Amino acid sequence: MMRNPHGLRRRSLLTGASATAVLAAAAACGEDGPAGTADDPVEISFEWWGDDARAEITTEAVNLFMSKNEGIKVQTNFADFPTYWEGMTGRMASQDLPDVFQMDYSRLRQFGTTGLLLPLEGVVKTDDFREGFLETAKLDGKLIAVPAAGNTLGLIYRSDWFEAHGVAAPAPGYSWDAYAADIAKVTAGLGEGKWGGGDWAGQYHFMELWLRQQGGSFYTEDGKALAFDQAKLAEWWQTTAALYAAGDVPPVATTVEWVEGGLVQDLLASEIGWDNFMPGFSPTVEANGGTLALAAPPTLDPNNLGLYLKPSMQFVISAATEQAEASAKLIDFLLGDPEAIAILGTSRGIPATNAGLANVELDAASQAVIDYEASVSQYLTTPPPAPPAATGAIEVKFGELYQQVQYAEMTPVEAAELFFTEAETLLANEQ
Amino acid sequence: MSASPSTTAPPAATGAEAPPAGGSRGAAKRRAPISRRGERLVGYTFMTPWIIGSLVFTVGPMLWSLYLSFTDYHLLLGGDWVGMANYTAMFEDPMFGRAVKVTLLYVLLAVPLKLIASLAVAMLLTQSRRGIGFYRAAFYMPSLIAMSVGIAIVWKALFSGGGPQDQFMSWFGWEGGGFIGNPSVSILMLVLLSVWTFGAPMVIFMAGLLQVPSELYEAAEVDGAGRWHRFVHITIPMLSPVIFFNVLMETVHAFQLFGPAFIIGGTAGGPAWSTLFYTVRIYALAFVDLRMGYASAWAWMLVLAVGVVTLIMFRAAKNLVYYAGEDNR
Repeated sequence: MMRNPHGLRRRSLLTGASATAVLAAAAACGEDGPAGTADDPVEISFEWWGDDARAEITTEAVNLFMSKNEGIKVQTNFADFPTYWEGMTGRMASQDLPDVFQMDYSRLRQFGTTGLLLPLEGVVKTDDFREGFLETAKLDGKLIAVPAAGNTLGLIYRSDWFEAHGVAAPAPGYSWDAYAADIAKVTAGLGEGKWGGGDWAGQYHFMELWLRQQGGSFYTEDGKALAFDQAKLAEWWQTTAALYAAGDVPPVATTVEWVEGGLVQDLLASEIGWDNFMPGFSPTVEANGGTLALAAPPTLDPNNLGLYLKPSMQFVISAATEQAEASAKLIDFLLGDPEAIAILGTSRGIPATNAGLANVELDAASQAVIDYEASVSQYLTTPPPAPPAATGAIEVKFGELYQQVQYAEMTPVEAAELFFTEAETLLANEQ
Repeated sequence: MSASPSTTAPPAATGAEAPPAGGSRGAAKRRAPISRRGERLVGYTFMTPWIIGSLVFTVGPMLWSLYLSFTDYHLLLGGDWVGMANYTAMFEDPMFGRAVKVTLLYVLLAVPLKLIASLAVAMLLTQSRRGIGFYRAAFYMPSLIAMSVGIAIVWKALFSGGGPQDQFMSWFGWEGGGFIGNPSVSILMLVLLSVWTFGAPMVIFMAGLLQVPSELYEAAEVDGAGRWHRFVHITIPMLSPVIFFNVLMETVHAFQLFGPAFIIGGTAGGPAWSTLFYTVRIYALAFVDLRMGYASAWAWMLVLAVGVVTLIMFRAAKNLVYYAGEDNR
């Protein structure tokens, strides 16, 4: 029996019952009127993902907000990224989302198209965002999020190790082949147990970069299909095959055990990654006696690095909120209040507002990120539309299947074939 | 500790002695018989909290998931009736075969090993020795904490590269590294975790062993039977109903292993799907892929499979299990 593609459009069979069956979620809601005074405050909830350090400063900023707005009480909560999204998925089904919460570009469509997010045009302040930022907060032309900060891909590397082993600082236009050769060189120089670079083939964002360098994209414009074929994927998964076979990048049996990552654990000399991660890694690397630097990622085409400015995090308001006004106030405060900006620093990335940029205190590493973004600004091109809702699951599948290739359980061709079966099922499931 | 008993013990002792003298005899006064129907009503009334709980939290969701298994229900978008499509799709799904393989391998390894371990320990612990109570508690302990997140995390550390297992085995020439990163042996971590937590079957075995009449052993000894013969010809047959019960329970449990596998291997059943247990796959389908309908179909297939396995076991048990007192059957 086949799925009937012309069947009725699937629409909310969502009921409370199904939600109860899935997860028992605790509801937290303030039933006060919209006004809110110091004696009878309105209550809103605000949640984000991140570590303890981020939680501490965010709570501090929220406390400041509450002292300045006595009629509003804010309940806060946080978790690490995977836990956060596992929780949100269940709460999305039970329609029990926080009033204000942190959003990721990869989940924007999933939440946005199901009507769970409040349209923000005219609700929050939008006049102070840096150029290009607001575009990625829109879904099909409608503003449903505000960017808290932005990032782009880069090559994060140990300049001390690169230099010590005779590798020049990478410059824009650096080719993948040159990068591979440098990895081999640094690995040989570092000796047993340390590597010149990480295996980049398991990350779908890096393949997207590689596709953009060829004028392509990961998803089609409408987000309903993959915009490449199996052969292309098999080719991508072989881009590190020689390095992997030679032991120039760490074997998968080693990397699956890494908790904090190769750079932080002093085992890896370079890694492609989001540039705003660099200030996070930097203190530990410095404590280990190293220096981190940022360079443009390797490319196929010196004139097209495939880069775009992506919101690293966004804030959204639940469509079910009873306190839209108070919620918007909190967002405006976090992004625009000079004191709040000073407290929050660059934990979420380089601020997306001009006020943010003017008031944030920058350490050397954060300054390096800003300098890096300025240095590649001529290469930043239009961001792809918000990825399809299934992208979270597709991303997971991408990594899982590449792991099969690394363990030699599957050939790249076999893995690519299975990836297409799985991804197509997931994409079809969203339509 | 030395002074207090002399002052506190006597009152307690007299207090304890008093009731049996008058109280319990007096309470045995015959009550007027209540009608059967009334008694039944009272019984059900007392059961209502449980009945409501199981209807709302077990039966209801189960029936709902049975319904969902015939739809293409998406966690957020809802779904339509698709008939048997989910069930047929399963057999074309390459992940289905993998998940079944991993789960069966685990059942075949973990159940016998765990039962052998628990029987062996139970036999040691039914001896009468000084401090046997302490040992019984100590050996039961792991099963109280085994399914906790904490232990799974400890397990992960034990079996990581350069961890205790890797170091220990390296002395004997092992070069496979930590089990965590090695797909060909990673399932053994979970088998070992299961074997380590033999508390429940152990207690049941102990109860069974203590039931075996000692005359049988004495008679056999007189006839010159050695330890091995006594074990094979007396212990095993007399214990067979208990063995059967434990095999059944452990098998059913093994099919449903989730928590430790999920924490150690994640939703992807890492490394390289080697711990992709059936239940882990159900979880990933439901909460990562959001394909609730398809995940429900997987879940019901598991119910069906466990049911069939149980049925086969009951059939087999007819010839293998010896019930004392039913010799003439």
